[in-house]
Order: sequence, then structure tokens, then C-alpha cells
Amino acid sequence: MSLARTQPLTIAPPEELLEVSFDDGMEEIIEEHLRHYPTRQAALLPVLWLCQERWGWLSAGVLRAVARRLELAPAFVEGVVTFYTMYQTAPPGKYLLQVCTTLSCALCGASGLLERLKEKLGIDPGETTPDGRFTLLGVQCLGACGEAPVIQVNNDYYTDMTTEKLDQLLDELP
Amino acid sequence: MTAGGAMKPILLRARGEDKSRSISTYLRMGGYGALKKALIMDPAGVRKEVKDSGLRGRGGAGFPTGVKWGFVPQDLPKPKYLICNADESEPGTFKDRAIIHTDPHMLIEGIIISSYAIDAHVAYIYIRGEFWEEARILEKAIAEARRKGYLGTNILRTGFDLEIHVHRGAGAYICGEETALIESIEGKRGQPRLKPPFPAVVGVFGCPTVVNNVETLACVPHIIEHGAAWFAAIGRNERNSGPKLYGISGHVRRPGVYELPMGVTFRELIYEHAGGIREGHELKAFIPGGSSCPVLPADFVDIPADFDSVAEAGSMFGSGGLIVMDDSVDMVWALENLMTFYSHESCGQCTPCREGSDWALDILRRIRRGYGRPEDLETLERISRYASQGMTICPLGDAFCGPISSFLKHFRNEFEDYIAKAKPLPPRTTPVLPVRSGRGRFGI
Amino acid sequence: MVTVTIDGHEVQVAEGVNLVEAARAAGVEIPTYCYHPGLRVVGQCRVCFVEVEGMPRLVTACSTPVKDGMVVNTASDRVREARQAVLEFLLANHPLDCPVCDQAGECYLQDYSVEFGTDSTHMVDDRRRFPGRERNELGPHVIQNQNRCIHCTRCIRFTQEISETWDLTMKSRGNHAYIGTFDGEPLDNPWSACVADVCPVGALTVKEFRFRARVWHLDETPSVCPGCSVGCTIDIGHLEGIVHRFTPRENPEINGWWMCDFGRFLAEDLNGRDFEVPRLRGERGLQDTGWQEAMAALTELAEVGSPLRVVASANATNEALYLAKRLFLDRPGAEVVVPVHRGEEHRVKNAQRQWVAGADEHPNSTGARLMGFTTVDTEGLEAFLRGGRGPILILDGGAHPWLLSQEAARAVTGQKVAVAARKASPLTGAAYLVLPLASWIETEGTLTSSTGRVQLARRGLFPRGQAKPAWEILALAGRQLGVEVPTPLTPRTFFEAMAAEVPPFAAMTWRRLATEPGIPVLEEVAHVG
Ligand SMILES: Cc1cc2nc3c(=O)[nH]c(=O)nc-3n(C[C@H](O)[C@H](O)[C@H](O)COP(=O)(O)O)c2cc1C
Ligand code: SF4
Ligand code: FES
Ligand code: FES
Repeated sequence: MSLARTQPLTIAPPEELLEVSFDDGMEEIIEEHLRHYPTRQAALLPVLWLCQERWGWLSAGVLRAVARRLELAPAFVEGVVTFYTMYQTAPPGKYLLQVCTTLSCALCGASGLLERLKEKLGIDPGETTPDGRFTLLGVQCLGACGEAPVIQVNNDYYTDMTTEKLDQLLDELP
Repeated sequence: MTAGGAMKPILLRARGEDKSRSISTYLRMGGYGALKKALIMDPAGVRKEVKDSGLRGRGGAGFPTGVKWGFVPQDLPKPKYLICNADESEPGTFKDRAIIHTDPHMLIEGIIISSYAIDAHVAYIYIRGEFWEEARILEKAIAEARRKGYLGTNILRTGFDLEIHVHRGAGAYICGEETALIESIEGKRGQPRLKPPFPAVVGVFGCPTVVNNVETLACVPHIIEHGAAWFAAIGRNERNSGPKLYGISGHVRRPGVYELPMGVTFRELIYEHAGGIREGHELKAFIPGGSSCPVLPADFVDIPADFDSVAEAGSMFGSGGLIVMDDSVDMVWALENLMTFYSHESCGQCTPCREGSDWALDILRRIRRGYGRPEDLETLERISRYASQGMTICPLGDAFCGPISSFLKHFRNEFEDYIAKAKPLPPRTTPVLPVRSGRGRFGI
Repeated sequence: MVTVTIDGHEVQVAEGVNLVEAARAAGVEIPTYCYHPGLRVVGQCRVCFVEVEGMPRLVTACSTPVKDGMVVNTASDRVREARQAVLEFLLANHPLDCPVCDQAGECYLQDYSVEFGTDSTHMVDDRRRFPGRERNELGPHVIQNQNRCIHCTRCIRFTQEISETWDLTMKSRGNHAYIGTFDGEPLDNPWSACVADVCPVGALTVKEFRFRARVWHLDETPSVCPGCSVGCTIDIGHLEGIVHRFTPRENPEINGWWMCDFGRFLAEDLNGRDFEVPRLRGERGLQDTGWQEAMAALTELAEVGSPLRVVASANATNEALYLAKRLFLDRPGAEVVVPVHRGEEHRVKNAQRQWVAGADEHPNSTGARLMGFTTVDTEGLEAFLRGGRGPILILDGGAHPWLLSQEAARAVTGQKVAVAARKASPLTGAAYLVLPLASWIETEGTLTSSTGRVQLARRGLFPRGQAKPAWEILALAGRQLGVEVPTPLTPRTFFEAMAAEVPPFAAMTWRRLATEPGIPVLEEVAHVG
């Protein structure tokens, strides 16, 4: 049975993100978000998500555009972005391999998964493979401890993982 | 009153149903009936019913929900907000995800009734960023409910209006704390606020706000449907009432979410429902309600799993996320693992938490590397004394101090063994910490 | 007003003030890091714990408002232990590099550790480091050493609430968090150096002051910023005759706790001096001479018959301007103008967070107007200088930037010019007589700010060489010209004479000026009727 159900992220190269603008489709979504809140600032997290979905990561140019759109100071926006761990401020690989390392997963063999990935990909957590395909991350509890150990690849959870399932998953990812 | 044994599932009644998440399934099972009933009651009546049920918050603190709703000033000419806390980021906790996966409409119905009770016309569901799929499930359910007239303007022609918006977090445990969550909705760094004022008076956008956990809100339709007395009769006593979702993880044979009346014993949870400890091993310790709750050794396994009983045993019931450890676990390692989490998740604004969590982690790492020193345990105790109990702005300080002091209390010998075998300290070097950018989470 | 008891002292304080301020009123100091009276309260550092009777837990004094009848204990064992613990936490990651730290002597961490902390910390683990941010130029004036930061966020709040430039932020979170600008852009706003003032430790320091002197060696002289008509209250820090820095001094009505970079970095300029003795033109050009000869030459100029044209100065003190008024404005035979250079607008926020904007780049243009002088802009000044044949007296060769130009020298060719100056310029090169003028810190006197407040600037240094302040030059000249000059010849004497004579200053006393942060003139005018 096939395991993988994750599509690769599209990661815009840095030179494309020096200056960005929002197309009509994005504008429409931004307007929708703005309607949800009484302040513009409150739309910051959703708009950042939108940009990350669009470009794969948040360059300084993207932050500047978001700041302008929401009438916020760029430094403020950067402060918010860097508080949260899921916003990427450097281009990651096409697959973010996020291995939960917290207690329940650790009790159930998370470190074996991480070791396996380090060995297979030849990188340490926080690094990206030279071909730009994988970024490996050790992350904190993913809220699925009953199905430990858990790996999140991009948006998808893979639960009750074993090294065999991990190998299969890596082979199957498109 | 009954405790223990099996019960007919309430919160997870749709588990195993075909297309359990769809509104048609929900309606078939009697869904949105409670809403109809609530909307013809007056809001005060709804509040009273919930108060009388004895429902206590399932997010961790166990605060009586009806009492909390009562703190919202009724005469303030400001909008009021309801926030559903779906941040679910306390390690060992994964029950809210189960509700969203099996029965999102139960949560939506709970949110509508609760909003009506506190006179809110906008509700937010704050969901952790990692729960991308769950956010989609909720958005779909909201759209369905809207189409059927359970959301929007003039709900069921009663004149009550409500919009629910899903707001995704972006990776920060602290945003589960209600005021950090509010800051995060406002588009800021998720740093807890000084209290008072409390959110019920000054919450999101400066307006009265109630923050409730997913499971708490999911109980509300059942209370309205069956009555406060029915709810209060489930569980060990009226202070520890209702059905409860127990999430069991770690070294058990059948980890997962189990719905049982509040007050089953940990023994039943571990050995009957979760199938016991894996072959060849024995229970060593368990963390009763999510990683912030002080650890208990195996001898406590016969106490009831409810707010008051666990508090009596010197721990906390928390969110009901039970982490089970067998005799293979090195408790120094386990504490180091937890401190890695807390030092990573401290928002960093207050000194004792920011510095204390990191310092404790440094000490634990050093002990585990074989360089422990006899005074280390005192220092750890000192940290746990002074980063807790009101020394910090929010309870995250207590959340790691409880583990530190309880691990030391119950498993001190393991720490001492490490230290007895320790080598002398290596010459001092000053390591260089990687400056974390937003990218990437702290690699282990 | 409410009554609270702090460590046994009963005090009356205004409703709504916090326990830190109430304690201060009672003479009790509570340590604080994140609290700054000019910034929003965040209650983050947790060092200001106190015990309040009837409250089970310790409370942070900065975030606790007074309530009538409150009984506060700031010295109990519980409070002491909590404070010690917080300091210990802070020191756990703070480099112990006081001997090479520029903040030493002004560091609250150092002070409080000595006063409230424990002797040794329990720390054997390594301290946090931020490579690349240990000697980082945050902007043109501010150097960052993130290793020393205690995360009080005062600097960030300054840029959000006071400068409103929003250029600083906290990046990342927890123990890894650090202060930075957007994408590493330079911190360059008109008040940027204030972030170093508010930094309670040595994480942000002023580049221009770094390693120039150890703070505890500095003499601080209360003064007023010479940069513009706002007249920020400042301290001038100097050591062995050299001026090292200006720092803002609290003045609720004018500059709160702040000052702008333009004014602050005028400090260095006070150290330059080209003239230490008077110089008089003879056969071989300008020659050093003595004050007696110089004053005789000046008197001669004034008495040649054709009217003397006097360029007074909006940089001079009220006392000097008062004497200029008596000598030249109140007597026939002279024409006087005060040149005013608009320059850039400089502004600062007062303690109520209202902007106070300067009208021009002179510290006493308001005083000059109140004294009755006519002010002129550049064109007016040039026309004034070109518009006659008689001798010219320029009270300060630096009174207007145009005076430093080649044109100014050209405008006076062929005319006999006496100029008091500290620095050489084309004009002094063309002068007949150059009088060595004392610098800002070598002068004592009062200034009237654009908000109409009179402040006293103290003298911190004796004039170098034989230089004299303008008031003294004018007093001596007055005697020579037969004008009655009150004695003894001190700024105080002239101030009191001025107060008796010039209505806006009526009823002000030197003693009040020496103790109060500025007395409003207009109010006094109203008072006098
Ligand atoms: C550090 C910290 C993390 C928390 N995380 C969560 C969480 O993930 N989910 C949650 O419902 N409550 C969490 N809480 C509790 C909330 O602050 C709040 O009490 C709760 O959402 C209230 O809901 P309830 O009354 O229904 O329990 C957390 C509290 C703290 C101090
Ligand atoms: S206790 Fe920790 S997480 Fe909570 S506000 Fe303070 S620093 Fe932030
Ligand atoms: S510990 Fe891994 S999902 Fe919770
Ligand atoms: S001064 Fe009160 S908490 Fe910092």
C-alpha cells in the first residue's frame, strides 16, 4: 500500500522575491482575511501563511510587501515572523521532514527515525540536502502523541512511523 | 454516580461512523438539536445550565466553565468574543484533534451555543499551525453549517448572528496560553499578557473574551440536550463530572484517545483500556495530564484520574493526556527531553522562565554527558522554586518547574547515580549558540 | 491623593501611580530593569517584586498601582530572596566582562548585584553568545553587544512609543531572542542614541562615546542642549577639560527623558578652539594681544561716530543678551540684529508624549525676541552687514552658519570688524579684532526655550586660555563705554537685573532656576499682569 500523499512545495528562488506584489487572486484572499478582524494587524498571520503557501518561504522582500499591505512596520512584521517556528525565512527544500522529538515520540523511537534520516540524507537537523529536495527538522510535540512516533512532511502527518515506513515514504515521495 | 468501566461514548459517539464528519451524519445523530433548544432559552439560562453541570475546563486548568462565562460584563457596550482554543500543543495531549477528526460539527454547535450564552457574534477557532488538515476540516464544516443556516445572520430565524473564523497559529506552544493566543490573533508575537485585566473583561481587540478548549465546548451541546443533572451524574462526583477524553501515549500497547467518565483510575486506563505495558516491562512512572503535570511513580496508579484526586497526589490533571513510561526509561533523559521542549517554547519575556528553562536544560545536558556536580540538584531545585509560583507572567514557568521538582522528588537516585559516576568538569569553553532564524525549528 | 505605607514610611501619592514611584516618593528604591517612567509598563524583568499586605503572592511593583491604605514591604526576606533569584537568573547568561564593558558604572545589573544580589552565582555552565552581534553596528550611532542583553525591551518600546519609528524588534524567541532591525538595516532615526540611554546594561552603547572614558570618572554638568530652540535639558559629561558626551536629563515639560541625535552629537564640537587670546590687526596682520588692549580697541571702534552695527546672537545667554540690550538697543548710536537660522526642524517628546518642536537651530532665539531684538534670516543678515560703512561688532562668529562662509568675509571687506569667536573662519581672518569666546560649557547662564521655559545652564569648565563668555565681554565693554553695569560681574547679577527690568522674566529667581527644571516665562508674564 502506498504511503506518500504529499506534494512537493514550490520554492521561489531568492532573486524572484526581492520585490513582490500580490496578484488579484491573493488580493481577494487578503481582503477576505481583513473582513474577519476589526484591525488590519490581525490579518498578519493569515497573510503570512498565504505568502508562504504561494512562494514557499518569506523573504525580506515578502515581509516588506506584507508590511506595506497591512500598514505595519517591517521590523514589527519580522519580529512576529521569527517568533513562530513554522514561517520559513530562508528557502527550504521541497519537503520539510519534521520529526517530532518530544517525550511520547521519543519514548517510541523518534531518535531512531532522526538518525535514519540524518544517515540517509547526509544532513543534520536544520539543514537542507544539496539538491534542495529535503530539509530536516527536529520539531516539538505535534499533538498526535497517541500515534507516536510522528513525522510531518510539509502539511501531512505520518503516524506510527518505523524506519521501514520511513524508507518507503522517502522512496515514494514524488 | 458511576466511575470506571465502559460507557456509551458521548464526545466520540461518531467514531467509526461512515463519513462521520459530514453534516448529514451529524444531523442524523441528532446534531444541532441542542442549538435549537438553546436558542429558545435565554442566554442566562444557557449559562446557568452549563454552570450547574459542573463542567470544568478541559484545557488544563479545570476552571468551571459556567463561572468563567459569568465574568463577562453584560452591560459593556463592546462586542464580545468567544475563542475556541484548538492549539493543543501540550506534549501528551491529542484529544482535541480526535474531536475535530471525528465530529467537527459537535464543536461548531458547541461554539454557537456558547457564543449565544455570552452574547458573542464573532468567534475564532485558534488552531495550531501544524494542524493544517484539521483547519481544513473545520473550514469545511463551518461552510456546511453556514449553508444550513446554523451560522451567519439570523440563525434559525431567531435573530442571533454569528460568524466563526479559523485562525491558524504558526508554531508556538505558548500560544495555547489564553492571553498569548489573544496576542497571536491580534497579529503579534505570542507573548502572554500581564493579568489583571483578565480576558473576560479585556481580551481580544480590547473586548470581553472567553477562551475555551475544544473539548470543553464540545461538551456544551450535550449539557443543553440532556440537562445539567445528567452531565453532573457522569463521573466521580459533581466537582469532577462529565465524560472525559483521555489521551494515552508512551509505553502502552494500545495508545490512543479513550472516552471514559471522569474519575476512572489510572490503573484502568493503562491496563484495561490501553492494553497494559509492553511485554517484559513494568510501569515505572506516568505523567497524568500532559507534560506540565508533575510526574508520579507507579505506586500512584490506583488513584482516580480527575482534577481533585490528581491534585491530592501532588500533581495535576491538566488536559488528561497521560504519558506512560516503563522501567526502561532513564528519568534524567526524560526530564532533559521535557526541558528541551520548555526552553524551546518559553516566549522569553520574563527572566525566570527564559533563563531558568535554559539553565536547567544546560545542567541536565551536562549531567547526562557525565559532568554532573553534587550542587547541580540544589541548583535545579532553586530554579524550580524561583521560576514558578507567581514569579512569572504566565504559568509556563510552573509548567516546567513541576516536572523538575517532581522528577527530583521521586527519582532523585537516578540523578545522584549520574553525578556519583561523573568525571571532573572539562576545561571551560564558551560554545556558540546558533542564532535561530525563523527558519527551522530547534534541531535536537 | 491616596496614602500608602512603604517600609513603614507613610506617603501621599497621586492615584494611579505605581509602587515604584510611590516608593521613590517615600525615599525607598525598588530595583527595576524593564520599567522606565517614559515607557509602557511590561512587567517582564521580574526584579521589582514587593510584598503587599493582604496579597498572597509577591507583586511586581512596576505593574501594581497604588490603592489607598496599601501597606507595602520592599525588604522582607521573601522579597530579598526573590530579587536575588531574579538577579541570579539574569547573571546566569550575562557575560562577566564588566572590566571591559562600556556601561560599567552605569549598569543596573552591576549596581543591583552589588546592592541586592548574591556574591556568587551557581553557574558553571556556559553563557549564551551571539556571534556576529557582539560588536555590531546597529546604526550610525549605536553599537550592540547582544551577549549582554537582558531582554527588557526598553529600546524596542522607545522606537515604538517615543520615536514612533518602529525600527527595532525582538527577533526569534526565548533565550535565543535578540534585538535587531528589519533585515539588518541600519538603526537610523533622529533619536537613535536614546536607545542606548534606556538600555540598563551595556548591550547598546553610543558609538561616539565608546571607550572614551570610564563613566565614574566623568564630571557631569547640568546644562541645556545648544542645538535648537527646544532646549533639551542635558548633562554634559567631561573629564580633564575635554567634553565627552551630552546625555538627556529628565525634564517632564520639555524633553521628557530624551534628546535628538543632532543635539547630542554637538558635544564633540565644544572641544575645538582656535583662539585663546585676543588678536588685534596691526602692520603684520592679526597679532596676539591682551584683553586691555583689545577692549580699548573695541571702545575706539564703538566711538568712531558712524553708527556701530552689532550682530548679537541667539546662541547667547539671556544675561549676555540683556547686556547687549543695555549697551546697544537701549542707547542711540548702534543698530542691532540677531541672526536666526531656521535649519532643520528638531523635535523631541515631552513626558506627556507630546511632540515639542524647535522653531530654529538656536538655544535662545526666544530669549532674544523677548528681550526686544529684531531677528533676521540669512538675507537680512547679509543686507545688514553690507548696508553701511561703519564698524561692525559680531558677538559670536558662530551665531549663524552663514557667518562662517566666504561670503560673510566678503560682505565686510573694507570695514572694521570686531568678532568674538572660538573657531577661525574667513570672517575672523578678515577681522580687525578677534576676541576669544568661551564655549558653551565654559559659560554659565540662562536660556529661554521655544516652549517659553527659562533654564539654567551651568559652567563645567573654566574657559581655556584667556577666553571669556559673551556676558563678560559685554560687561567689560559696557564699563569702557560708560554704561552702568551692576556688580559684582556675575551671570546671577545680570539675571536679577534682567528679571527686575524685562517683564517676561519678572519674579524669577536664580535660586528657583537652580533647583527647578525650567520656569515658564509666559506664566510669569501673566502673573505680573
Ligand atoms: C503554557 C500554556 C499552554 C496552554 N496550552 C493550551 C492548549 O494547547 N489548549 C488549551 O485548550 N488550553 C491551553 N492552555 C490553557 C489556556 O490558557 C486556557 O486556560 C484554556 O484554553 C481555557 O479553556 P478551558 O477553560 O475550556 O479549559 C495553556 C495554558 C498554558 C499556561
Ligand atoms: S513564563 Fe515564560 S512563557 Fe510565560 S510569559 Fe514568562 S517567559 Fe513567556
Ligand atoms: S510527542 Fe510527538 S506528537 Fe506529541
Ligand atoms: S521593573 Fe517591574 S518587572 Fe521589570
